[in-house]
Amino acid sequence: MAGAIRDLFRDHAEFRIGAVLVAFVLLLSALASFSPYPPESVYVVPPDVPPSLAYWFGTTSRGQDVFWELSVALRNTLLFGAVVAMISRVIALVIGLLSGYKGGWVDRALMSVNDTFIVIPLLPLLVLFYFVMRDRMSWLALALIMACFGWAYDARLIRSVAMSLKAREFTQTSLFSGMSTREILVQEHLPHVMPVVFSTAMNNMVWSIGLEVTLAVLGFTDVNRPTIGGMIYWANQHAAMVAGVWWWIAFPIAAVTMMFIGLFLLAVTANAYIDPRSRFRTIGGAF
Amino acid sequence: MHAQAVPDVPSEAVPPMLSVRDLRTYYRANRLGIKREVKAVDGISLTVRRGEIYGLAGESGSGKSTLLNCVAGAIRPPMEIVGGDIDFAFLSGYGGLHRAPPAEVARVRWRHLSYIMQGSMNVLNPLRRLRSVFVDFAYPHVGGTRQQFERQLHAHLARLNLDRSVLSAYPHELSGGMRQRATVALATVCRPDLIIADEPTTALDVLVQKEVLGMIRGIQREMGSSVLLVTHDMGVHAHVSDRLGIMYAGHLVEEAGTAEIFRNPLHPYTKHLISSLPRIGDDAPRCGLGGAPPNLADPPLGCRFHPRCPLAMKVCSGEAPAMLETAPGHRVACFAYNQSGGA
Amino acid sequence: MLRIASYEAADCGDPGSFLRHGGALMSGYFAFLLRRLGQFGLVLFIGINVAYVITHASPIDPVEQSISAVTSFGNTAPDAVEQMRSALRELYGLGATPLDQYRLFWSRILRADFGPSLSAFPTPVSTLIGRALPWTAGLLAVSTIIAWGLGNLLGGLAGYYQKSRTLRLMGVVAIGLHPIPYYILALLLLIVFGYLWPVLPIAGGSAMNLPQSLTMEFVASVLQHAILPALSLILIGVGSWFIGMRSLVSNIVTEDYVVYAELAGVRPWRILSSYVMRNAMAPQLTGLAMSLGGIFNGAVITEKVFGYPGLGSLLVDAVYAGDYGLVLGVTTISIVAVSAGVLAIDLLYPLLDPRVKVN
Repeated sequence: MAGAIRDLFRDHAEFRIGAVLVAFVLLLSALASFSPYPPESVYVVPPDVPPSLAYWFGTTSRGQDVFWELSVALRNTLLFGAVVAMISRVIALVIGLLSGYKGGWVDRALMSVNDTFIVIPLLPLLVLFYFVMRDRMSWLALALIMACFGWAYDARLIRSVAMSLKAREFTQTSLFSGMSTREILVQEHLPHVMPVVFSTAMNNMVWSIGLEVTLAVLGFTDVNRPTIGGMIYWANQHAAMVAGVWWWIAFPIAAVTMMFIGLFLLAVTANAYIDPRSRFRTIGGAF
Repeated sequence: MHAQAVPDVPSEAVPPMLSVRDLRTYYRANRLGIKREVKAVDGISLTVRRGEIYGLAGESGSGKSTLLNCVAGAIRPPMEIVGGDIDFAFLSGYGGLHRAPPAEVARVRWRHLSYIMQGSMNVLNPLRRLRSVFVDFAYPHVGGTRQQFERQLHAHLARLNLDRSVLSAYPHELSGGMRQRATVALATVCRPDLIIADEPTTALDVLVQKEVLGMIRGIQREMGSSVLLVTHDMGVHAHVSDRLGIMYAGHLVEEAGTAEIFRNPLHPYTKHLISSLPRIGDDAPRCGLGGAPPNLADPPLGCRFHPRCPLAMKVCSGEAPAMLETAPGHRVACFAYNQSGGA
Repeated sequence: MLRIASYEAADCGDPGSFLRHGGALMSGYFAFLLRRLGQFGLVLFIGINVAYVITHASPIDPVEQSISAVTSFGNTAPDAVEQMRSALRELYGLGATPLDQYRLFWSRILRADFGPSLSAFPTPVSTLIGRALPWTAGLLAVSTIIAWGLGNLLGGLAGYYQKSRTLRLMGVVAIGLHPIPYYILALLLLIVFGYLWPVLPIAGGSAMNLPQSLTMEFVASVLQHAILPALSLILIGVGSWFIGMRSLVSNIVTEDYVVYAELAGVRPWRILSSYVMRNAMAPQLTGLAMSLGGIFNGAVITEKVFGYPGLGSLLVDAVYAGDYGLVLGVTTISIVAVSAGVLAIDLLYPLLDPRVKVN
């Protein structure tokens, strides 16, 4: 793994750029633990101060320090993406491995369901979900429902890897030595699909965070919990662009764009490393 | 065996259809700062005469496909021609298609030099009807109206005993044998001077194989074309090749008329290839050759076959034997025969 | 996700029977048709059930929730409130058994009857949706076709001419644009064309003062208003099709049939068009079908940013107004519309790949 990362770093400019962008965003979010202000409180600093030495990224009309607010928001947003990615990886692994290994009608049935989940437009359903939940909407509930929809693209990818594994000799050997399906999948196949799982996890984070930002901007999430989308939501509520408080919007957008491009570049190069003939499109993208 | 059926044309009377002189083709990779050089073809000279089928034999990795790609001008990195000349009767003075100007190459391709590839499933565009492929490949060279071309096409297919309905088919609608026959038709429709055939029958079952070979041979005789036929299958060579060159690890080790080679193989490697052919009534156990073909990134010094050779002598590991004639038309590169007065 | 399976052709030695029987071809096509229709049905079934579960498994009484949201805007006559409440209770099926609720839910969706809208009481929800649908469909169709066509063309060229500097630069731009969420890009365009360089209308579907009729002026105004929303959809779309097509093409150029055509001296433009691009189109069409849901998500949010009078704006405003029937209506109609679009694209697939007909 370390060797692979070293190779990627040396051979691919895209990987270097991606790594630097993601590292920067991670660093910024790690600083959240040192925030001098409680993240959810408002009017702790003078409002509407442009970027200066005292307030690097300026302050908001709600009296928050944009730098520290951004740091906490990035942490929460990344955590959200990671949770969605983790849960949906589990679903994608189960469906993908099972479908690819079993083949036949199991495969056809699972892939029909899979394609359905790829096609269904998720945003209206999430909006409906918020409409019903309103104030009880928590970020974990949102993460859960998004994980339930975010596995389908990647399950197909894992399935195709599993299909090629099935054709390999060691699978037959394991089968004849009396291993159960579950044992073969977990002990023999899982290690081979892990690289795909890692690369799709990054793409999945791009997807889920993009959707979360969108919902938050509309106010369809728990906007009192600082997130990137929540910051933009409050900036819009206070008409920050019209009022000339551009830093309130510009820094979150810059940070989240860096995060997206960084994660995407990592996923693309990791994918090219795993399988030079891979098609980037098969692992989805924003939305 | 048909070797005697060919009139023995004196090789100097007319220029040969193809002559390869001292060709060296290496795969050069520069990965992670380490330069690797694989000498896939290392100093091969041969000629293909007019109207003959010249067979090239050898196991996979011996460089025969690389040689074909050089002749066909299909050179992509990391493959690199580092030395030698390839001249055609219809295109000389450039030293190979890879050095000729694009207009010349375009003039020559398919009209004078065509190609039958291995694995007919993938050489035909799966989304294109065969008629369109014939038009793409041949029409620019033939000219005339489309109706004329269509008539010519029908005549050509009839000559090859193919139904004209193949033209309306997609490749997936044809059986493997039918696809390969269509490919032969495609490669011969412009009556080319030289046809390169790379394992043309490998993926086919035996009956179809025989039919396709007969078809190639028949149309070649009729048009008087030359064929450079590459296959590892000595049985195929025995069936159609007029002359035969044996390749081992990037070198040509023996060359003679097919009948001569089968009757009187000289090089130990050739002997091995021929003795491994099954024969009816022959119950003698086949003895395998020990060892594996050499790593061409770091080939053994001297004769490349010496680590596996039952006749290896001291000199074999020191210097490489030259290709020398032992009998008229029979050349071999082995110290066991007539090298510097030996044998 | 690619449907190109390898079709192992049985090798029949008899030269007369090389063409597969015509009957098998036909039934192959019907099998394909049936599979696609089945998939369409499955998408509708699962999607609408998810909508049912979301609305009916929640611990909150959606009727009172909606009523309180509507009445919080101020003076609604008590009569109207009662009327709304009864309409909502009926829509939701309150008091009925769960089975009846479920049956009612489906029957309403099949009849496209979601009762009256609360926010535009008493206009029926279906009327509002019918008004908004053409805007979304038009915006989506035009921008998707442009993005798909342009992205595939440029991506195909970039995969074929890998040394071109211009095309490489385009690749960098595409990779940069592709992962940006629709909302962020739309917002950036809004900032650029709304505040920094205000040359384009940034809100609405047409100029306010124009009657909606087929006059030159109206059409011009519609087109002008569509530029920014379409542009934000196109910019992101082009990026993703570009990247997909480029990697497809750079694989296809090493395929035997392309190498063979090159060895045959087939003219480069013919190879590019009929051997390379053409063969990448089918997987890209499948890709389009598969990402239609995502593109629709993007359109929803883009419409909201630019105040475009389509389904997206309708949905978001309905949430703000607490209009349960409208939210449910837009959601379910979206699922129907997107899966119909996917079906339509899927049915085009055999035109691009004749192998589908052989199963």
